[in-house]
Amino acid sequence: MFLNNIYLKTLRSFRIAIFGWGIGTGLMLYVVLLAVPTVIATPAAKADLITLAKSFAWLAEPVDVATPGGYTTFKYGFLILVMALWPLLTGSRILRGEEERGLMDALLSTPHSRTSAALQKIAAMWTALLSMAVLIGLIAFAGGINANAGISLGNALMFGVNLAIICGVFGGISLLVSQFTLDQRSASGITGGFLLVFIVLDMAHRINPSWEWVSRFSPIYYYNLSKPLIPSYGINFGAIAVQIVLCAVLYTAAVALFMQRDIGQTIPLPKWLRRSQKQQTIAQALPERNWSLQSVFARSIADTIKPGLWWTLGIAGFFSWMVVVVKQTENSLNALYAGSPTLVTLLQKVGGTNPTVNTALLSTFFVFLPILLMVFTVTQASAWAADEENGRQELLLATPKTRLTVFFARFGALTTALIFISLVTLGGIAVTAQITGLGLNSGNLIAATLSVIPQGLFIGALGYLLSGWLKTSIDTGLLSFLLLLWFVITFVGPELNWPDATLHFSSLYYYGTPLANGLPIGNLLEILAAALLCFGLAAYRFTQKDIAR
Amino acid sequence: MNAIIDVANITKNYGSSRGITNVSFQVNEGEVFGFLGPNGAGKTTTIRVLMALLRANSGTAAIAGMDYWQQSVEIKKITGYLPGELSLDPDLTGGQILEYFGHLRGGIDQTYLKQLISRMELDPSKKFRQYSSGNKRKVGLIQAFMHRPKLLILDEPTNGLDPLNQQEFVRMVQEVRDDGRTVFLSSHILSEIEQTCGRAGIIREGKLIKVGGINELKDIKQHEVIITFTGPAPIAAFQNLPDVSHAEALQNGDAVRLTVTGSIDQVIKIAAQYSIVSLKSSEPSLEDVFLRYYEGDGTVLQEASNVSQ
Repeated sequence: MFLNNIYLKTLRSFRIAIFGWGIGTGLMLYVVLLAVPTVIATPAAKADLITLAKSFAWLAEPVDVATPGGYTTFKYGFLILVMALWPLLTGSRILRGEEERGLMDALLSTPHSRTSAALQKIAAMWTALLSMAVLIGLIAFAGGINANAGISLGNALMFGVNLAIICGVFGGISLLVSQFTLDQRSASGITGGFLLVFIVLDMAHRINPSWEWVSRFSPIYYYNLSKPLIPSYGINFGAIAVQIVLCAVLYTAAVALFMQRDIGQTIPLPKWLRRSQKQQTIAQALPERNWSLQSVFARSIADTIKPGLWWTLGIAGFFSWMVVVVKQTENSLNALYAGSPTLVTLLQKVGGTNPTVNTALLSTFFVFLPILLMVFTVTQASAWAADEENGRQELLLATPKTRLTVFFARFGALTTALIFISLVTLGGIAVTAQITGLGLNSGNLIAATLSVIPQGLFIGALGYLLSGWLKTSIDTGLLSFLLLLWFVITFVGPELNWPDATLHFSSLYYYGTPLANGLPIGNLLEILAAALLCFGLAAYRFTQKDIAR
Repeated sequence: MNAIIDVANITKNYGSSRGITNVSFQVNEGEVFGFLGPNGAGKTTTIRVLMALLRANSGTAAIAGMDYWQQSVEIKKITGYLPGELSLDPDLTGGQILEYFGHLRGGIDQTYLKQLISRMELDPSKKFRQYSSGNKRKVGLIQAFMHRPKLLILDEPTNGLDPLNQQEFVRMVQEVRDDGRTVFLSSHILSEIEQTCGRAGIIREGKLIKVGGINELKDIKQHEVIITFTGPAPIAAFQNLPDVSHAEALQNGDAVRLTVTGSIDQVIKIAAQYSIVSLKSSEPSLEDVFLRYYEGDGTVLQEASNVSQ
């Protein structure tokens, strides 16, 4: 049945994503909804939470944070950053990705017009998004019942639908951008950049209300105008309509451009934007001395530079900015922290014991540092698996290089990238702290930024190891699931007073709170040992296995 | 002659799907050896085992006396390889790819590389993603030839090449052979094998069913002989001959068409007893051999197994 037409065939390819993203995101909401009674167990805790939330208002608007729906909406203010990843990748894949793989030629040789093919694929993407929305809504509704949150089924579903619509916007941007790029990866990357810019634009009005006109340029602003999980706040149908109109414009433009251009090509840029192509002689076209072509390691480094630099910019920039934000809120938090024992306990759970206010607050953010670095590592481990699957290892392993050489070169490039990102982040934070005058313990700062490297190495080695048996999609899916699981354990576990043994299951546990409490040497050695074990096994497996095609 | 490739009873299973079973053959130094078979027959699996990309479940294989798995790096120093499906970094230009693989091979003669690029009419300044399938193939071929390897292993090398480039490829293979080096190439294009190879092996459903000289392959083919007589054709005289598998009358009974397996000596001797207007024997083409071996005819397979390897 699912192979009857383009729509169903495309939808079939989304089936794992629908359940994975739908149930995964739903469960994240469910767990937080359950955690709320623990977080606001006493009136004092409730009051502290409200005050604390106001300090984080630039991150997400705190509305009724002492209620399950309000707290969950606030806590998952960044949810769009996670959820937009799927449509962002899918929007670039459904047309451009198919063209890249040569599948579009075959598809358009059947009696289907381009419009029909494109619309069926878009319809399948929207069906998948709305299916995820339903799953998310149903699970959130169940969580609401358990937490006695008073969230109606309609509102829970509307939460999912609102999320699906904003995701659809990013899918549309990705689809439109992919009409101008020759490959899917570039379109996803550019859309990822747009996502970050729109998140920052949306934040603008929460940092300074007079900048609201800036935020209005971000589609996320309109998404945030509805808060269906908060019964007192509800849904802004006007804002939803704005997003739908935006979607219509984006998808219509993308399909119109797709109709006009050559398959496998891009929309022709104006002359002044085109890169001039000079005719080269054979000798000129043979870059014999190019550094990146001298060895497998050099080539691997060159392949990692572009994504690595973007990630470095994002991670170092984000944490340097955090320093600025923490410095700005330092005074107000000092008073808050001094007068609230409950808040001290809350901060200590995630920020470490007895830190100063700024360090404790910054330390709570530092849990995102290993996560972000690990997400980067997962993309690189996924590229390693995909290279084999796509046959890119075939010729490489036909040269007189041992399999171990190739393995070490690729992992070496990944390790170099991890060290580079960590060092630049350290430098960025140190310089920003110096400029803003935020006092940080230098030793702890070095520990906090550099001890993420073993975390990255661990997930990377695990990804390389799993790729010895699994397909790229399953390998990447498992690693992503692990990251999500570890994140939930670390992010929500302490609020639910989960036992220490459970928290041990998260790799992030071994990272600890080094900014506040210094380097946990024992934990560091444990995660390093786990990384080395995975690395050794992965290397052995790679030397013995059949190379896939 | 020394065998540069010596494969003995190699078996490779892929779980439930077929691989290759007990494949054995030798390729002598300095010869051009063709490996024929339809899609999925096991050609690529055999080649990928030789390149140590796959590990055989049983059997042994040696290249230049070295074990294909244990000494694969040493083997790859003397080998040029073209995979059946070429996948390279789409963002690198053809020139960058060739230089990269040149460096991985410890450096190459740049003059020779430029000659190969000119001969194959490749524009090395384009990105790999911008190449047509034929041009991608050219990049693969050039990288296989550019370090003057002692042994070339080429999996369906002319796929996607235009006829002119195919001819250039044939010349390049002949030059390699004249230089005393060896070429092992797989193909399903019989004219290519006929033009370039001295010997060939035929593989089907994972089993090698025939290895022999190109002429040996021709000898076991069926000949079609059409004899036109001045009077009624004596069809009965041919029908009972042991080498004639089929006889039919043509042209109002004045001509006969015979399908002859093996020698046509008896047919000529019988025909000579009558008054003949013309006799036409169609030259057996390798295509016929190929098709015949893949008919699934047990008798034919039995015959083939009797041919010395």
